[in-house]
Amino acid sequence: MTNAGLVVADIQPVEDDFCIDVEVTSNRPDCLGVIGIAREVAAVVGASVQFPETNYISADPRSESRTGIEVSKLISVAVDEPILCPHYTARVVRHITVKPSPEWMQKRLKCIGLRPVNNIVDITNYVMMETGQPLHAFDLDKLSDQKIIVRSAKSGEEIVTINGARRALFHDMLVIADGKRPVAIAGIMGGRETEVSESTRNILLECAQFEPRQVRRTSKATGIASDSSYRFERGVDPEGVELASKRAVKLIKDFAEGEVAHGVIDIRSGKYEKKRITLRIERLNKVLGLEIKRTIASDILKRLQFNILNEVETGLKPVSTFIDVEVPSYRGDVYREIDLIEEIARIYGYNNIPTKTSISVRGSVKSKYEIVEDSVRQFLIGMGFYEVKTYSIVDTSPLQSLNLWPDPNKGSIDIKNPLRQEESRLRTHLLPSLLNAKTHNMHYGINQVKIFEIAKVYLAGENLPQERTCISAVADIDFYDLKGIVEAMLSYLGITRECEWQVCGGEVSKLFQQEKSAKIYFDDGKFLGLLGKAMDLECKISPCMMELNMDLLAEKSDLTRKFQAPSQYPPVFRDLAIIVNEAYTWSEILRWIKSANVNYLKEINFFDVYRGKQIPSGKKSIAFNLCFQAPDRTLRNDEVDVAQQAILDTLHKIIGAELRKQ
Amino acid sequence: MSNHEGTCLHFLYAFLDTHRMLEKLEEVKRNIQSEINSITALKDAEQLKIKYLGRKGIIHDFMKLIPSLPAEQRAAIGQRINSLKTEVTNIVEELLKKFSVEAISKAKHEIFDITLPGKRPLVGKKHLITQTIDDIKEVFARLGFDVVYGPEVESEYYNFEALNIPADHPSRTDFDTFYIKNDILLRSQTSTVQIRVMEKQKPPIRIIAPGRVYRPDTVDARHSFMFHQVEGLLVDEGVSFADLRGVLNQFIKTYFGQDVQMRFRPSFFPFTEPSAEVDISCSLCKGKGCSVCSYSGWVEILGAGMVDPNVFKAVHYDAEKYTGFAFGMGVERITMLKYGINDIRLFYENDIRFLSQF
Repeated sequence: MTNAGLVVADIQPVEDDFCIDVEVTSNRPDCLGVIGIAREVAAVVGASVQFPETNYISADPRSESRTGIEVSKLISVAVDEPILCPHYTARVVRHITVKPSPEWMQKRLKCIGLRPVNNIVDITNYVMMETGQPLHAFDLDKLSDQKIIVRSAKSGEEIVTINGARRALFHDMLVIADGKRPVAIAGIMGGRETEVSESTRNILLECAQFEPRQVRRTSKATGIASDSSYRFERGVDPEGVELASKRAVKLIKDFAEGEVAHGVIDIRSGKYEKKRITLRIERLNKVLGLEIKRTIASDILKRLQFNILNEVETGLKPVSTFIDVEVPSYRGDVYREIDLIEEIARIYGYNNIPTKTSISVRGSVKSKYEIVEDSVRQFLIGMGFYEVKTYSIVDTSPLQSLNLWPDPNKGSIDIKNPLRQEESRLRTHLLPSLLNAKTHNMHYGINQVKIFEIAKVYLAGENLPQERTCISAVADIDFYDLKGIVEAMLSYLGITRECEWQVCGGEVSKLFQQEKSAKIYFDDGKFLGLLGKAMDLECKISPCMMELNMDLLAEKSDLTRKFQAPSQYPPVFRDLAIIVNEAYTWSEILRWIKSANVNYLKEINFFDVYRGKQIPSGKKSIAFNLCFQAPDRTLRNDEVDVAQQAILDTLHKIIGAELRKQ
Repeated sequence: MSNHEGTCLHFLYAFLDTHRMLEKLEEVKRNIQSEINSITALKDAEQLKIKYLGRKGIIHDFMKLIPSLPAEQRAAIGQRINSLKTEVTNIVEELLKKFSVEAISKAKHEIFDITLPGKRPLVGKKHLITQTIDDIKEVFARLGFDVVYGPEVESEYYNFEALNIPADHPSRTDFDTFYIKNDILLRSQTSTVQIRVMEKQKPPIRIIAPGRVYRPDTVDARHSFMFHQVEGLLVDEGVSFADLRGVLNQFIKTYFGQDVQMRFRPSFFPFTEPSAEVDISCSLCKGKGCSVCSYSGWVEILGAGMVDPNVFKAVHYDAEKYTGFAFGMGVERITMLKYGINDIRLFYENDIRFLSQF
């Protein structure tokens, strides 16, 4: 059965019998009853289904006996909403004895988790479990005005259902009403006032069909879900009412005695037409990758009770190429050729279909983004960082509410139906989550961590939010170590453009120590991200951290490489130390060195800053190394001297730098 | 070093029976062992050599006694003495080497201890989920699948409607999907990417789409409100269910191992028809039945099927001309199966003791 799509979840022995627990997918409401399961088993093993006994004898209306009476004389039924209730039937049984149901029935109900109540209620449940068609029994004598009306509820009406819940009803809900009030929420649950009790003598047995969406809506609105609503929501057999109704009456007659009133009230809108579908054998084989003949396909369909309409030659096309079928009423899920193909595949056996790989050869292409993300990940791992993964849904604490990324709309993206307040907002930056991961590790005595995450942040957008992939890292290293890692990473990604490091300010200083943090911009003004020392949070030592725009990194990266011949001529190095005012930053000094515009200056490498003895207060000594090299010849010392002096002159003239005497 | 002469005299008088002689040999053996421990310098080792192996040494004394033994016992005793001699020779040589090398190098410089541990650099690791996704990507890249991504915050259209999930389908309720606004939600499956790709591109299509998905499940050992899925889609002319079986079989054998078996079970997904759930033979119990596979011998790893014609209709593909298949798998689930991890929360705690294992 599992191999035919009905997963057998459990088999439990119950006394001399077995209770089999079957998982039924939502497209197969026909299997929400024992008969449906039996049909499936019959199709799989090639047997036929034995249906339960439904014949009963009703009292003869022609007889003079007071019991021999037509149903229509006892009750009238009106369906005001034929679309929401396409089929309603009522049968009446009088002079019954309400008592416990037979032991075998109680045993069966108990083992599927239903509590036996009395013979009438148990029979309606039992038949529902047999047929998949829900039923409801009313105490006939408690129905006002001998009337049943299937109508929309009126505002202000309410009902107490048999489970004791009081529910207000609204006009978009369908109810079963008597002459005065609603007595049941259609397809969901009956009312307490008209339920069958010990004292009930006469019953009205309702067996009807209700529109699935209507039942689902009302079930959700009232918060009442029942075995009945479960079945109506998924759709019951449009031809199944009669069997279930007769079967229930038969059992009531057998186990509650009573006399069955003659006939039935049967109100039906429209007539059910069986669906007809054509299956092309070629299509079947094409979709499944099989080469089966028409006879195998038609045999499977017959076993599934599909009616084959073109067994004989029609004359139009060769009969061997297609099958016309009529779909059984209970198979609402089958309405297209592809659905028939699935039916055949299922019974033929998915595992009997070959496992072949005839798909064509194709080379896959790795996108630039993929390559860059892999490179970044690989680079950071090489630097000793562990990759972490943290939740995208976070709390609404102040730290999470910071605007790390300039967000024009500044709206947070909140979840309408969060499970908990702790997970109710889409995050706008990654760092708090990484700090949490660090804290977690500290609790377990791991104090030094280097971690990073590549994940999305969600910034409010016009319709859908803007999803930006960011890369964030937290590490117990100092500012310049982390800055160095970022610089090395940029160069690893082939990003040669200059970055501008600006002092952080504003809101983000709730997360970063203002003095030791920077905003990073590319020279075209694009904002790459932030890097700096964390505020003292829960961590004893404050780590350094960064958050960069991964999408921008991918855009700016250049992984194409072209060979450049290294110079054959020796470089000339010069170490210089200059004394300048504290206020001048390295980036300014660098800019002025470059502005001297000297020939053959290849590299400028900072190596030390010194404050202290020999240096006047308010000043600092900056040491750096200049590298000169020509591509076509060996530079002479006097040339380099001139260049060096030009640089020093420029620095002296503009920022008053003095060469530090050794 | 005890009285050598005395021992010799003792031998001459007392050792006329073999039994005593064997006892004495054992005693010598024991003595040597205790003497070794008190040796701390080269000269001690040299003295030990003379005492036992010298021309007037103890072993020589024993040798001299052999002729006085009864003829039939001489060979056996001789052998015992020889083996003792070999043993002592080895010990003494080892000692001489040890103290001589040490003596020389100690005089010159400190010893470079090559057995001290190396200085290990910190080496990071990819998160295990990334590793699994990378593994999946690699298998499918070899089969010609490109990697694509889609948004996580989606409209109902991409998450449901276009995937043939009607407005009244149970999975569209608040219980199964996180909503942001009325028609905007957090995607509950990566199948959304199918539609986005097909809208932009005509067949043939061969893609996988990894990413985060969200469902309002209370977190426990088996559930998480956020997890990862990988969706796959192949659309072309003449693609069949047999091809789906072939491709997934390739994946399963490569990822889980050549001896792992695959099983298809009919199932239901609105966006595929026919639909299947795919099981693999339980690698833990080799199909015999255990708690991981609920004693069935099989564990479910993914859902798959032929793309439903209604989905093709939504993206204006000719469902008569093109056929295709789609599949989706939970990354956490297959990772847990492969590595025997029993709690999904471990993936998001980011405990270094967990991360460093893989």
